[in-house]
Amino acid sequence: MNTCINKIREIASKLLENGEVEKVIGFANGTIPMATSPVVINSKQDVDKLVFNSTCGLNLANYVRNQKGKVAVIAKGCDSRNIVTHIVENQVKRDQIHIIGVPCTGMINKKKIEALFGDDIIEFTEDGDTLNVKSSTREETLNKKEYLRDNCTLCMHRNPVVYDDLAGDLVQEQTLENPYPDVDRIEAMDADAKWQHFQELTQNCIRCYACRNACPLCYCPTCFVDESGPQWVGKGQNKTDVDTFHFLRAFHCAGRCTDCGACVEACPMDINVRDFTRKLNKDSFEMFGWEAGLDITKRPPLDVYSPGDPNAFIK
Amino acid sequence: MMGNLLEHMGIEKDRVHFSWISSAEATKFVDVVKEISDKVRAIGPNTKFVKDYI
Amino acid sequence: MKFITIDKKDWAKGIEKSRETYRLFGPVKEKNGFLIKSLDNDMLPDMEYHDSVLSAKSVLFPQSEKMMTTSLDESRDGHHIMNRADADYSPRAVIGLRPFDAKAIQLVKLNFDTKEYRDPYWCDAYEATTFVGLGINKPGFYDFSTSAGSGPFNEEGLDVLLADMDDTYLAKVLTDKGQAYMDACGFKTQADAKESQALIDVLKKEAQKNIVSRIHTDKLKEKTTLELHEAPFWDDIAFSCINCGTCTYVCPTCWCFDIQDETKQKTTSRFKNWDTCMSPLFTLHTTGHNPRDTKTQRVRQRFMHKLKYFVDKYDQGTMCVGCGRCVKSCPVNIDIREVCNLMNAYEKQE
Repeated sequence: MNTCINKIREIASKLLENGEVEKVIGFANGTIPMATSPVVINSKQDVDKLVFNSTCGLNLANYVRNQKGKVAVIAKGCDSRNIVTHIVENQVKRDQIHIIGVPCTGMINKKKIEALFGDDIIEFTEDGDTLNVKSSTREETLNKKEYLRDNCTLCMHRNPVVYDDLAGDLVQEQTLENPYPDVDRIEAMDADAKWQHFQELTQNCIRCYACRNACPLCYCPTCFVDESGPQWVGKGQNKTDVDTFHFLRAFHCAGRCTDCGACVEACPMDINVRDFTRKLNKDSFEMFGWEAGLDITKRPPLDVYSPGDPNAFIK
Repeated sequence: MMGNLLEHMGIEKDRVHFSWISSAEATKFVDVVKEISDKVRAIGPNTKFVKDYI
Repeated sequence: MKFITIDKKDWAKGIEKSRETYRLFGPVKEKNGFLIKSLDNDMLPDMEYHDSVLSAKSVLFPQSEKMMTTSLDESRDGHHIMNRADADYSPRAVIGLRPFDAKAIQLVKLNFDTKEYRDPYWCDAYEATTFVGLGINKPGFYDFSTSAGSGPFNEEGLDVLLADMDDTYLAKVLTDKGQAYMDACGFKTQADAKESQALIDVLKKEAQKNIVSRIHTDKLKEKTTLELHEAPFWDDIAFSCINCGTCTYVCPTCWCFDIQDETKQKTTSRFKNWDTCMSPLFTLHTTGHNPRDTKTQRVRQRFMHKLKYFVDKYDQGTMCVGCGRCVKSCPVNIDIREVCNLMNAYEKQE
């Protein structure tokens, strides 16, 4: 993945120079270790600002809406699937977007790495699968494969599903015997244990809505929690209101979520909100044979009626 | 899928029912409501997802 | 100034003893990191803690606080008339407070406790609280408090400053409130003032040396508000922003709140909830018009408030104490240090 950045810059530079796109949306280096920040590049001189590494965990599909003119965007497998979802849902037109695909080998789990050290991490570098992490007291060399985010270890679409340019060689897709072990674990619990699990999960939620705002699916002009005339959900820290937000946010993603992990990446309280959406992903797959964002010609299963839809739930 | 997600979060399966009843199906309506109330009564009062204080 | 030596072996016992007269708050390690929480039952403050994800502002300013309540039952006396809700304002103590958090509370006080208006909820909680700070021997990587009007051993806003001396804590008693708390703990072993101050000074110097990151604020006051407001960099800063409320909620000085009425059956209550200027709803008018409708406007507001409007209005420095929490927690790495330096250095191009 380290080598693809030269290719990304080369493509971006060419696109801007030829006037094929007005801007390129990508990642730039952050001001702190293990951080990159979404950035927009308007001119050829600035393409060196672009970087791509294992810390680019946000989803850039979230930045392509409402742009004037044609934009190029750097897309991992999951980003490309969300771009497909955007096109299907009429958020962006295919010919308005130039996709620079980046085959991905997974993004790192920053919180897991931080937890290894008692103090703050002051330096982070990577070379292939080797991560070098330094805190003020010690230094560790880690194997990236052991520190991937949960969604990346379970990812089966590392290569972009749609692209105009490719910034690296396609990577081998993972084959998983069971793509939903996390959902199975919760399904095996009884009702009270499940409830307890989710109560503890969202216990420290501060309702900053970073999970929602980092999500490329959440583009409603006014979110249901922000409706004020009339108001739908209480705004305080009442646990039922907090859970209502999480439950409905997840349900709005049903059949649309690509498990890109941006929600968890953004959460300041380290809450694995994917526990909600993963169940919907599993159900979509089992009930409709559906994985979101793979086909530009098909609408998500809850958007369309099909005579073959499962209907055992209805009396 | 909504019912499944509720169940996944720990709301007992028998609390949430979906049915399609035409206005001409009075007996079906009675049967469904009976079945629902029996099932919900069997689980007892719900304490989950209830805003308990103001 | 009085100094007290506390043997760490006696620490837990003393804290337990203070429970007879104080409700305690302090750092607790949770799955998601350290939080400042109410220390129930036999919980002790985790004094080895790292910077907490959220600040200590919630001790006085909870994210949701019931202000008033009333009955809608017309057969009752006083129905439909809001009365202040019951709350516990018995003495409380925050143990292990970061000095920059104590300073932040002093800045928040400028807003909640003024000559004209006094927020009774915040002020009553403030008066009930004893602030027991812990000097930071090893400041974290994100700490830039020394250039933001605070520092690892800053005493402002504290009643007691503790310094960790390995086997002992050296307590510098700064106020009568602090003395009362030390008495409640039974900590009495007085230490030599001059010697103790010297010991603290050594730690302080060492700690300050470890803070390498800094902001420049010297020119903010002389800048023209309008010029800063119209500076060309705001769109670039705001591009990556996802408009979540993380920065404002983790911030120890963000004091904005929203008032909400909630009704269940015949009871209705009025709540005060944290609000965030990052949300479009923050400024939405009932007409539907929103004066701060775009992301750039909202991002600009946050920084202009902290680094310009506040500076001009109160003349007490910036509304940032350099805790570094927003820098660490921002999902897209918008860095207040960079923005501050950009604002401080900005010169309008003719």
